[in-house]
Amino acid sequence: MRAGPSQEEIRRYNLGTLLRHVHLGGPTSRAELTSRMGLNRSTIMALTADLAAAGLVREELPRETGRAGRPSLVVRPESARIYVLAFDVGVDRLVAARVGLGGVILDRRESVRQRGTFDLAEVISTLAGFARQMVRKTRPDTVCVGAAAAFCGAVRESDGTVHFSPNLVGPIAELPFGEELSRKLAMGLPVAVGNDANLGALAEHTRGVAPGCRNLIYLHADVGIGGGIIAGGHLLGGHEGYFGEVGHMIVNPGGRPCGCGSRGCLEAEVGERALIDHAGMYGRVGREAVRTLVEAADRGDIAARDSVHRAGDWLGIGVANLVNIFNPEVVVFGGTLRELYLGSAAQVRTQINTSSLPAARANLRLRTTALGDDVTLVGAAELAFTQMLADPLEMLARVSP
Amino acid sequence: MTTPVLELRGIDKSFGPVQVLHDVAFSAYPGEVTALVGDNGAGKSTLVKCIGGIYSIDSGEYYFEGNSVTVSSPREAAALGVEIVYQDLALCDNLDIVQNMFLGRERKSGLVLDEATMEEMAAKTLAGLSVRTVKSLRQHVSSLSGGQRQTVAIAKAVLWNSKVVILDEPTAALGVAQTAQVLELVRQLADKGLAVVLISHNLNDVFAVSDRIAALYLGRMAAQVKASEVTHSQVVELITSGRSGTLGLTNGSGS
Repeated sequence: MRAGPSQEEIRRYNLGTLLRHVHLGGPTSRAELTSRMGLNRSTIMALTADLAAAGLVREELPRETGRAGRPSLVVRPESARIYVLAFDVGVDRLVAARVGLGGVILDRRESVRQRGTFDLAEVISTLAGFARQMVRKTRPDTVCVGAAAAFCGAVRESDGTVHFSPNLVGPIAELPFGEELSRKLAMGLPVAVGNDANLGALAEHTRGVAPGCRNLIYLHADVGIGGGIIAGGHLLGGHEGYFGEVGHMIVNPGGRPCGCGSRGCLEAEVGERALIDHAGMYGRVGREAVRTLVEAADRGDIAARDSVHRAGDWLGIGVANLVNIFNPEVVVFGGTLRELYLGSAAQVRTQINTSSLPAARANLRLRTTALGDDVTLVGAAELAFTQMLADPLEMLARVSP
Repeated sequence: MTTPVLELRGIDKSFGPVQVLHDVAFSAYPGEVTALVGDNGAGKSTLVKCIGGIYSIDSGEYYFEGNSVTVSSPREAAALGVEIVYQDLALCDNLDIVQNMFLGRERKSGLVLDEATMEEMAAKTLAGLSVRTVKSLRQHVSSLSGGQRQTVAIAKAVLWNSKVVILDEPTAALGVAQTAQVLELVRQLADKGLAVVLISHNLNDVFAVSDRIAALYLGRMAAQVKASEVTHSQVVELITSGRSGTLGLTNGSGS
C-alpha cells in the first residue's frame, strides 16, 4: 500500500497547475500565483524557475504598478515558442491552426469543404498540408507539444475513432480519424479527437463566456445540433464518449424526419434544414444562409420570421428539458445558434419559462459564445494542451528532438 | 437577495398640469440587466431623465447604494456613478474616439492635456469590453459605423467607473449583426458587475439579455418582474394594457 503521493508527483502536479494558471489567466505576477495556488513564495519561485529553464514561461519585470514596494515578477507563457496544432472539421469547412501556449492563435489556414461524400483521405491530406505549411514557417526553437481535432460527429473517446455523423454523407460508419491524421502528420504526435460541441463546451468553460463555471451547457449548431455538458466542473463523456448528442433529443414526436432516422429531433426542428425549408429558401445551405435568413426575419420577411420564431419555440423546449435535467448555471449558444437565439430570444425564453421547473430556471443565464466561429477550434487547442498541462517537463522531454 | 444599487420609490413628476409619472417604483441591481419597456408616452424617457438628474422629481425617494440622495443635476448623477447613453449618442463627429470619450472631463498634466494617459485608458476600456472592430483610437467618429458609434458611446459611459449605465434604445438603428454585437456588449457590462438599464421597444432584444423587466403603463409602473418568470405575451399585455393575469395594475390603483 502506498502512503500517499511522492515528492516527485507533488512537484509534477504543482508544475502543471502553475502552468495552467498562466496558460488560462495570461501573464500573472508571482505574488498572485502564490495566493491563488496557496503555496509559499519560495515554492512558487522554484516552480517558475523550473518552467523557465525548460523554456515554457518567461519572467519579466511588470510595467509600472503605481504602488509602493518592490514589484513582483510577472510570469508569462512562452506563446511564440510552445504551440499545439488544432484542427476543426466542420460540415462546410476545414480549419487548421497553430495555437501558442496561453491560447494565442499564431497562424491559421482555412478551406471550404464541399458538401457531398466524405473522403477521409482528402480531408486528412488537406489538414496535414495546412499543418506542414504552418510548421515550416516556424522558427527552429519552437516546439509543438500536441495536436487535436474537433469533429462534427460522434467520437469514441478511447481512440479518436469517429463513429456516426448523420450530416456527412458517405461511408463513415467507423473512421480511424485521429490515427490517420497522426500518421499523415508524421510528427510523432498522437492526434486527440473530440466531438465539436463537447470541445465547444470545454472552450467556453476555459476561456469563453463563463470561465470556471462548473455547470454549463454548450449548444452548437453547424448543420446539425450538438451539445457539450459540463457538470460539477467536468465534461461529461458517457460510457464511450458519445455523450451530449442533445440534437437527437426528441422535442416534437412525429415531427420532421431527421438524418438519424428518427423524427422530431431538436436538430430536425431547429437545424439549418428546418430553418431554410420553412422560410422557403430552398437550395441555400451553410452558415451564411442561416445568417441571411435571420437578417431577413429582422427586416420583416414574414416567412423568414415565422421560420425563426418556430425554431425558437422548439429550441426553448429543448433547453427547458436540459434545464430540468441538469440545472445548469449557464447555457451558451454557439455556431449558428448564436444568431438564432438572438433573433428568437423571446420565443426561447417564453418556452423555458413555461415548460421548465421554476427552481431549476430561476438563476439560469442564457449567453452567446464569446469565441465566435472559432469556438470549436479553441476547444480543440485546449484538448491538445491537456497532456502538456498534466506533466509539462515529461511532455517536453518527449517531443524535443 | 442582493440590494439594488439604484432604487426609486413613489416618484411623481408633472409638467404643468400633465402628470407624467405616478408613484413609480424602480430598482436596478448590480450584475443584472433591467429592461425598461413601455409604449410611446408611457414615461420611460422621463423616468430616465429623473434618474440622470436632468429633471427634478416632484416627490418620491431616490436611493443610491442604500443611501437616500438628492440628484438635481447631471453632474451629481455622474458623481454618484450613473451614466446615460442617449439614443442620439451625443458624440462629436469632428473629434476622434479618445477625445469623445473624455469630452468635458479631459485629463490634464500640469497645463496641457495628458493625451498619453487618456489614450491608454480608452484603449484599456475598449479592450476590457473585447471591442475588436475599432482600428485606431485616433479615428474620427464620423468614420465609424452605427454599431461602432454605439460601442464608443457605451465605452464612454463605462470609463468613469460608473455603477449604473442606462442605455436608451441602443439597437434601434442597427442591422442584425451589429445588434447582436451591441446586445452581447450590454450583457458583458452586467456580467462585469454593473447595473445596466436597457430601454427598448424590441421585446426580442429584451428577452435576449435581460434579467428583469420593468413595464411602464401610462406613467405607472405596471410590474417589475424577473425575466425567468414571464412570457412574451404577458409582457406585451403589460405594455399595452398595464396588466396580465395576476400581474400588473389593478383597477383601484390610484386612477
